[in-house]
Amino acid sequence: MLVKVLAFAGFREILGKERELEIKEAATVKELLEELAQVSPRFKEAAFDDSGELRDYVLLMVNRKRIDPILDLSRPLQEGDELAIFPPLAGG
Amino acid sequence: MIKITEEDFSLDEMIKRARSKDAGAIVTFLGIVRDDGMERMEVEAFREAALVELEAIRDEAMSRFHLMAAEVVHRTGTLAVGESIVAIVCSAAHREEAFSGCRYIIEELKKRAPLWKKELGEKGERWVGRT
Repeated sequence: MLVKVLAFAGFREILGKERELEIKEAATVKELLEELAQVSPRFKEAAFDDSGELRDYVLLMVNRKRIDPILDLSRPLQEGDELAIFPPLAGG
Repeated sequence: MIKITEEDFSLDEMIKRARSKDAGAIVTFLGIVRDDGMERMEVEAFREAALVELEAIRDEAMSRFHLMAAEVVHRTGTLAVGESIVAIVCSAAHREEAFSGCRYIIEELKKRAPLWKKELGEKGERWVGRT
């Protein structure tokens, strides 16, 4: 199935602003992030620590709603879902 | 009005729109690029999500503090030291509500709106807030 990945700030510089990815049916948020880490070693280094855990400054939205980067990582995605990846907010 | 724009804005126009015969106070907040040893700043937004969040924050402030009007404009793109980044204008019957509403909007914007700033200068560049 096809999902969209949006990246902002430092993650945009690594991944590009927007890309579509073909992933297996019902893949989880974590599986999608791992897929991105495989495609981009720079993303792997920026987003995951040495033990493979997501770094705590990685923030996520699915379909423009914030998700918990710990509790919701096992959430299955659906065709057409949009995952946004970004660092801590710094507006204003 | 809630706006995310690459263009500069007029605080006077925002104040004009916030005026009404029942409003006895208008409070404005203007955030500007401070010289922290950099030359310029780049501001980036997740535009669609930021607009929705700013509208929600505006609506919360309007009802919590009984505001008569609330406007938020946030710039994106490349900004020089001294340029405006964000403006908030709140009108209310009395000053307490207008001050509280304006403060609520800027504090919530900083916590919740998907916006990022990058400082650029001779020494290099860095994303603000990144550990």
